[in-house]
Amino acid sequence: MTASLAPSQAPAGRRRSPRRRLGPVGTSVLGAVIGLAFLIPLWWTVVNSLRPGDETFRYLNPLEWRTFFTLTPTLDNYFALLDTDLGRAILNSLFISLVTVVVGLVICATAAYGLSAFTFRGQGIVFSVIILSFLIPFDAIAIPLADMFRDWNLQNTFFGLILPGLGNGMAIFLLRTFFLAIPEELVEAARLDGLGPWGVFRRIYLPLSVPALIGAGLMLFLFQWQAYVWPLLMGTDRDHVVGPVALSNLQGQFAVDYGVLFAASVILILIPLAIIIGFQRYFIQSVSTTGLK
Amino acid sequence: MTTPTTRAGADSRARRAVRPAPPARPTRRGRRHPALIALAFLAPALIALLVLRLAPAAVALWDSLFRTSLLGGTQFVALGNYLELFGNPDFQNALLVTLVFTILINPLQVATAFLLAVLYTRKAAGSKIWRSLVILPIAVPPAVSAVIWSVIYRPDGLANAFLDLLGLPAQPFLTSPQQALASIMVLLSWIGVGYWMMFLIAGINDIPRSYYEAASLDGASAWRQLWTITFPLVRRPLAFVLVADTVSNLLVFAPVQILTKGGPEGSTNLLMYDIFTRAYTLGDLNTAQAEVVILVLITLVIVALQFRLLRSED
Repeated sequence: MTASLAPSQAPAGRRRSPRRRLGPVGTSVLGAVIGLAFLIPLWWTVVNSLRPGDETFRYLNPLEWRTFFTLTPTLDNYFALLDTDLGRAILNSLFISLVTVVVGLVICATAAYGLSAFTFRGQGIVFSVIILSFLIPFDAIAIPLADMFRDWNLQNTFFGLILPGLGNGMAIFLLRTFFLAIPEELVEAARLDGLGPWGVFRRIYLPLSVPALIGAGLMLFLFQWQAYVWPLLMGTDRDHVVGPVALSNLQGQFAVDYGVLFAASVILILIPLAIIIGFQRYFIQSVSTTGLK
Repeated sequence: MTTPTTRAGADSRARRAVRPAPPARPTRRGRRHPALIALAFLAPALIALLVLRLAPAAVALWDSLFRTSLLGGTQFVALGNYLELFGNPDFQNALLVTLVFTILINPLQVATAFLLAVLYTRKAAGSKIWRSLVILPIAVPPAVSAVIWSVIYRPDGLANAFLDLLGLPAQPFLTSPQQALASIMVLLSWIGVGYWMMFLIAGINDIPRSYYEAASLDGASAWRQLWTITFPLVRRPLAFVLVADTVSNLLVFAPVQILTKGGPEGSTNLLMYDIFTRAYTLGDLNTAQAEVVILVLITLVIVALQFRLLRSED
């Protein structure tokens, strides 16, 4: 294919210096090598989760094909995970993230509606509070906040773990951008039909904003799923510890079953990955809206 | 045949006739107390943001002006904690490590993300597939990345196995003061570069094809096109990515806490981890709050800088 294309390209490309040009084949090969390099740690993690823990280091010296493949894959590590605290921790993470998405979406969507569908005095101030709230990184203020939560006896409670994830300035900002684009005629028509502010929100704004809601939901989910500093400060007892914290505790121990460690890693990666891939379009949309506008 | 001016005049007159006069036009604001209704919708989020984001920052600022001792109770010391911090060799070291880390990792990650974005937006076989392999690791939580790489970096781990394949001697990685920080940069870039690349790919895809075609006809090399077309036209996403990346790298904590605990010899003692140890290991909460204030201020300055940069461009 490349060869047949070359002659027709020749007139346009004559003046270019051939040395500097990376042909389609070269581009492909370079792209493949880099892509595979990024895949290796992930692939190795998955393969190790499918074989007994004592085989993790067996095929590393020297490297061979069995380093990256196993002929006898087994799900034993995943079953073993079910009986450990790590399995429980992953369920905790899932619970915290899902509650955050549901409650957080309600809070953020109503706020975005209040900000975009009405004009009132002090709107500018409210808007700046929201902007300022996401300019201050949450992790940076986690320690003073943890101090406050300790005074309120919220340590080692799901409430304390979930609460900071609910109000997300970035999600409000994303939803507001979307809400502002909803045609006024539609809202007016709904109002003439007798819908109040809540009815307009439920019947007009929400159904028209599904993509933005999914994007905001993803933001809320990933915020909690990736959280580490906050759960480390807030909930480390057996019943409330989250997946990443439990996994890192395991890493520090002397006798580690690497098979189980890798199985837990795979699940902690697979869940957000499946969600991101499933909602790919909305994810990219939300990423580009928050980033560039 | 009418002249352009009269036609425009007629046009606008016609438009005015169709559209109702602005004051009569019903607006979106609620009928009776728009402010009250709006605030009712906004209340839960506003309370959450005020209590859970802004109040802690204010508390940190307030607490940083006091000093609590077991015997003397709480005492107002004004900027005393800040002065003590800047005289503290551990804090000085943390600042230096964070500065070196920031200066190295951000340009490296952004440059890599940019070059990969250029590479993966060219027409080539399998581009989309290879690109998605680079994006995959963004789903890995930083703490999980740290755990996976802790196994990769072990003396008998995957990293040394690759070095052996290339005929290179085994390296200590996380246990060496010279290599630990770089090792952490690698595991952060593994999950970070793909994320920033997505923004830049979106930026590059927004550039009209015709620019490149015109440049090709003029005989500009691919290299020149990269610097005279692509680079200037993705300046905005690039500036955003650089700032957002810098802010997120200022907050790096999990890999340090999981892998090195700030060591060896303080070589990975980044600001976030220093705050954490000051508050909980040393139990000096007031000074830790002062450090929180410093960290928040640095972040706000960086973000303000971005707004200025982007605004002055328009």
